[in-house]
Amino acid sequence: MVNLVACFVGALLGTIVGVLPGLGPTATMALMLPFTLNYGPETGLIMMAGVWFGSQYGGSTTSILVNIPGEAASVVTCLDGYQMAKKGRAGAALALVAIGSFIAGTIGIIGLQFFAPVLGNAALSFGPPEYLAFMVLAFVLLSNLSGDTPLKGLLMLGLGLFISSIGINPLDSYPRFTFGSEKLMLGIEFLPLAMGFFGITEILHIAVETYVLPVVEKLRLKELYPNKKEIRRSISPIFRGSVLGFFCGLLPGPSTVISTFISYSLEKRLSKAPQEFGKGAVEGVVGPESANNSAVMGSMIPLLTLGIPFAAPCAVMLAGLRIHHVEPGPLLFKTNPDVFWTFIAAMYIGNIMLLILNLPLVGFFARIATIRPQLLMPFISVICLVGIYSVRNSIFDVWVMIISGVIGYFLRRWGFPIAPFIIGVVLGPMTENSLRQTLMMFRGNMTRIFDRPIAVTFLSLTLVFIILRISYLFLRRSSNRQEGL
Amino acid sequence: MVLSMVIIIVSLGYGLGALKRPGPGLYPFFVAVFLILPFSIILYILGTTSGRAKPLFIDRYGFGKFLLMILTFILWVTAMPYLGYVIVTLVATCCFCKVMRLEGWLKPIALSVGTALFIYLLFDYWLYIDLPRGILG
Repeated sequence: MVNLVACFVGALLGTIVGVLPGLGPTATMALMLPFTLNYGPETGLIMMAGVWFGSQYGGSTTSILVNIPGEAASVVTCLDGYQMAKKGRAGAALALVAIGSFIAGTIGIIGLQFFAPVLGNAALSFGPPEYLAFMVLAFVLLSNLSGDTPLKGLLMLGLGLFISSIGINPLDSYPRFTFGSEKLMLGIEFLPLAMGFFGITEILHIAVETYVLPVVEKLRLKELYPNKKEIRRSISPIFRGSVLGFFCGLLPGPSTVISTFISYSLEKRLSKAPQEFGKGAVEGVVGPESANNSAVMGSMIPLLTLGIPFAAPCAVMLAGLRIHHVEPGPLLFKTNPDVFWTFIAAMYIGNIMLLILNLPLVGFFARIATIRPQLLMPFISVICLVGIYSVRNSIFDVWVMIISGVIGYFLRRWGFPIAPFIIGVVLGPMTENSLRQTLMMFRGNMTRIFDRPIAVTFLSLTLVFIILRISYLFLRRSSNRQEGL
Repeated sequence: MVLSMVIIIVSLGYGLGALKRPGPGLYPFFVAVFLILPFSIILYILGTTSGRAKPLFIDRYGFGKFLLMILTFILWVTAMPYLGYVIVTLVATCCFCKVMRLEGWLKPIALSVGTALFIYLLFDYWLYIDLPRGILG
C-alpha cells in the first residue's frame, strides 16, 4: 500500500514538475530523497522513478498549449504540438501524447523487465578492469552529449571526480583534502550538492530573470478526442519512438532529450509528408513524446544492472539506494530481488495512474503552469533548506547546498553542464576502486588489460568514438571555411 | 587551473605510491593531470580568444535580487540553530517573497505562515524528524 501511495505521489509530483518550467525532475527527486529515508529502498526508488516518469508526461502539456517546454525533453514537442494547438487540435494532441506515452512506458517497462536480469547476469563476469574500461567509455560519451562542448563536459566530470575524493579514503583510511576539518573527514555528501546544483541554482535563476506567465486557455474533456486520421498516423510513430527511446536510454547523458531529437528526425525522414513537419504534423508530436517516456526505463538498465548512472536523475536514484544500503549492480538480482520486482510492478501501475491523471486532468495541470514563481519559489527554497538539514541534522550540508547553488548559477551562465559533475561525484569512488584494483591486479602493468576482451571492446569503442568526433569537427571546420570562401 | 595545480601539489604530498601499489594521492593526481588541468587550459585559451562572454546578470536589479536571495539563505542557516526552524522559516519565506517582488504584505505573510505550518506538520507530525525548535522549546 505504501508503495502504491509513493507511486501516486511521485507520478503526481512529476507531472506537476513537468508542467512547471524551471524546476526539473532531477531537482525534485533530490528534494524527495530526505522524505524517502523513513521508508524502504523500493519505496524511495518507486517515488523517484514516478517523478521522472511523470515529468515526461507533464512536460508536453505546456509545450502543446503555450509553446513553452515544461522540461528539456519536451522542447521538440513545441515544434509541432503548438502548431496543432493553433489549429484547434490541442486536445487531440494531448490525448495522443498521453496514450503514446502510456504505450511507450509499458514497452519500456517490459524491456527493462526482460533485459535487466539478463544483462545483470552478464555483468557478473565484469571485474575491475571491465568496470574501469566501461567507465572510461561512459565518461567520454557523457562529456560529448552534455553541454556546449565536450571540453566543458570533461572538465566538469574531472571536478566531480575530484570532489568525490575529498574525505577519508576507504581503501587506506587516509584523509585527503580535508585540511584539518572534521566536517570534511566524511567527504562532501551527494545530496546537498545535487539539491544545490539543481534546486538552488534554478531558484536563483528564476529570481534573477523576469518570468512571463503563459496564458492558458480552458480545455474541455470532450475536446480530447483525436480523429481517425490522427490515430492512424500516430500508431507507427508511437511504436518506433518507444523502441528508439528505450535504446537511447542506454546511452550516457541526457538520454530523454537525445531520444526526442532522434525520433523527430526519424519521423520526418520516414513521413510521406515531411513538409508538414513544423506545421502541426502529429507524427512529430507523438514520436518524440513516446521516445522520452521509453528512454526513462532504458536509463534504468545501466543503473540497476551495473550500478552506473548514465543520467543525472539516475545518479539521484543511485544515491537514494545507497542511503538505504542497497547497492545496485549485478548482485542486485540475487541480494535484493524484491527491490527490482517491486519497482517493476509499481511502474506498471504508475503508468496506468499517469494515463488516468493526464487525460481528464490535463486542464488542471495546464493551470498549474500559471502559478507565479513569486509564490512557488519561496516555498521550494525553504523546503530545500529544511529538507537537506533534516537528513543528517548538519548545518554543514546546508552550507554545501547554498555554495553549490551559487557556483551552479555561474557555471550555468557560462555554459558548463552540471550533469557530468554530478555523475562524476557519484561514480568517483567506483572509478577510484576500479583503477586501484586494476593496477594492483596487473601489478602496475596496464598493458595486461589487452588480455581482457570485454575491457578491450569498451576501450576500442571509446577510441572509435573519439576518432569519429575529431573527424566530424575537422569536416565541419573545413566546410565552414569553404562556405566562408 | 589554479585548483588543478593545488590538487597536483597536495596529491604529491599524500604520495602517489607505485603503479603496482597505488598511494592515496594517485587518483586525484590522475584526475587533475588528465582532466582538470588540460581542459581548463584549453577552455581558458578558447575563452580569451572568442570575444565577450555572456553577462552574468541582466541588470543591476538582477544582481541585487541575487545578493538578497543569498543573504536570505545565509540568514536561515545562521539563525536557525538559535531561533528554531519554524520562526526562521517564517521570516525567510517572507524575505524570499519580497525579494521576488510579491506585492503587498498580506500575501507574503499568508504564504510564510502557511509554509511554516506545512513544514512543521510535515516534519514533526508526519515524518517524526526532530529539528531545532530554538526559542519555541
